[in-house]
Amino acid sequence: MAFERNFLLVGLVLALLAPLVAYNEYALHIGVVIMFSVMLATSFNLIVGYAGEFPLGHTAFFGIGAYTAALLSMRFGLPFYGSVLAAAVMAALFGLAIGGVTLRLRGPFFVIVTLCFAEVLRLIASNWIGLTNGPMGLSGIAKPAWIIHFTGVEQKLWFYYAGLLLASISLLISYRFVYSNVGRAVVAVRENRFVAQSIGIWPFYLGLVTFVLAAAISGLAGGFYAYYISYVGPEVFGFSFMITMIIMVLAGGKGTLVGPVVGAVIVVFLEEYLRDFKDLRFSIFGLIVIAVVIFLPRGLMGFVTRRHELYRPRDGGNISKALSGEPDLTARALDTERGVLDA
Amino acid sequence: MDLFFQLLANGLVTGTFYALSALGLTLVFGLMRVVNFAHGELYVIGGLLGWALTAVLGWNYFLTLLVVILVLGVGGYLIDQVLIARVRGQGEEPTILLTIGLSIFIANTALLIVGTTPVTVASPFASKPLFLGPVVITQARLMLVGVCAVLIGGANLLIQRTTLGRAMRATFQDTMAAQLVGIRTAHIYGLTFALGAILAGAAGMLLGSIYVVEPTIGGVISLKAFVVFILGGMGSFAGAIVGGLILGVAEALWGGYVATGYVDAIGFALVILTLLVRPYGLFSKRAERA
Repeated sequence: MAFERNFLLVGLVLALLAPLVAYNEYALHIGVVIMFSVMLATSFNLIVGYAGEFPLGHTAFFGIGAYTAALLSMRFGLPFYGSVLAAAVMAALFGLAIGGVTLRLRGPFFVIVTLCFAEVLRLIASNWIGLTNGPMGLSGIAKPAWIIHFTGVEQKLWFYYAGLLLASISLLISYRFVYSNVGRAVVAVRENRFVAQSIGIWPFYLGLVTFVLAAAISGLAGGFYAYYISYVGPEVFGFSFMITMIIMVLAGGKGTLVGPVVGAVIVVFLEEYLRDFKDLRFSIFGLIVIAVVIFLPRGLMGFVTRRHELYRPRDGGNISKALSGEPDLTARALDTERGVLDA
Repeated sequence: MDLFFQLLANGLVTGTFYALSALGLTLVFGLMRVVNFAHGELYVIGGLLGWALTAVLGWNYFLTLLVVILVLGVGGYLIDQVLIARVRGQGEEPTILLTIGLSIFIANTALLIVGTTPVTVASPFASKPLFLGPVVITQARLMLVGVCAVLIGGANLLIQRTTLGRAMRATFQDTMAAQLVGIRTAHIYGLTFALGAILAGAAGMLLGSIYVVEPTIGGVISLKAFVVFILGGMGSFAGAIVGGLILGVAEALWGGYVATGYVDAIGFALVILTLLVRPYGLFSKRAERA
């Protein structure tokens, strides 16, 4: 808990300072993509890592958020923060409705049915031309009024900090949620549903709470995405965003708050490097997913924290020393990694 | 009324094809409890291999079908023994992820090799129309319905009546008891997955002569197969057939009478409705598993 908090705080400070060393459009663009990915990964992780279900249609909420923000901004001229917030609320409402139906199922049934919902939404987005402009999508979403006269790099900088703010809020909410009584109860259900039920925990209700929260964060990410890219099409419901989310959460380590953040950073950089491989990169991505499942089943952070847990009892009395040992090392290793990549 | 019969016939024919393309998925889930997200990609491999051998190299159709069955059988066995065996017994999630990774890999590698152009398998069946009363059906489709029925029946016989099928069912009912009576369960897992892959590949090859095959179509096939598989109650052969027919007829009627825009959404709407009424499928006898 303390390790996660410290790690995230160090990450926040680093992210705040990053533009000092990397002040150009390309680097800031990558920064914005990282912020947006962190939100998506965090939201997906809430369900996969904590509730222990696998919503393969999680892009539904991302897409709903993106479309809501785009439509509110284009049709009603709502300002940036208003429509991004509305995107989160709308996604949460959809989360309530979809979760209410799908959470009655578990395992593979849940996986497939959430996927069905995302597909239905994708089909509606491409067929309801009056509302969504069909496959053409909604383009030309106005940037916030106060940054229009900024230069390109200043706009990117603004988006970077706005993204950082939203990502920090998402992580803060997730942190408070995960370490609350409700969050612990959710983990109890994940670990053993029947024991949890026997001590008075209501799995469906807790699942729904987690689901709605995750949907809201996903919608927030969608709203931010709509403004940043200034275009929304039916592909926001598509499988490619889903795959990115899955890889980020798994490679980073599900069930930890730090894991998806690390995963998001790694995957965004990896995508940039793999760009050289052009078409081959998706094949490589597929192989990476397979390799992660087989060789790193708990993800990078899962691996690190397990080492950390194994390390503790050996030290006997001096737990605090053991606690401060390894996280520092990993944090430093990751910091240097990030520094190298930023430079 | 003639239109209704025509639509119904079209729906039943498409439904049989849906049933065939979902059969491998149903089998693998019903026996192994593995949701194979690479199912559509195995279908694509079958279709593309069929195209390469018949249309490009000019091989005989039935010889090609045999080759497709052989290649996918060996491939499926290897996929199970090399990949899925490593995460066996760790719950559902790792297998789901593993097959998703596999599907990404296969789809994009196929895209690199074949390109984006849709292709078709060269078929020996004539596309001459047959007039059965008010209904028109092409000869090729009618032949394929027959082939589908033979394949479905054959797979069912294999599982219900042969020693291998009995060993399969024993393995998935109680692995340890099966081991005690001398069944090589690891082998059986591989063979079951291989059978699922064969059915997927054969479906791809057979339907590739009527519909187009392209590397990216696997996702759509998987989704349709999931719909059939849920409608039919997951894991039962009869359920898969009924689910396929329901989906085919519903799509044909909706497309004919209402609008063509949302045809693809019908299946998902049916699934969601089914869930509201019977959460574990229309024909499922099984209650929730612990």
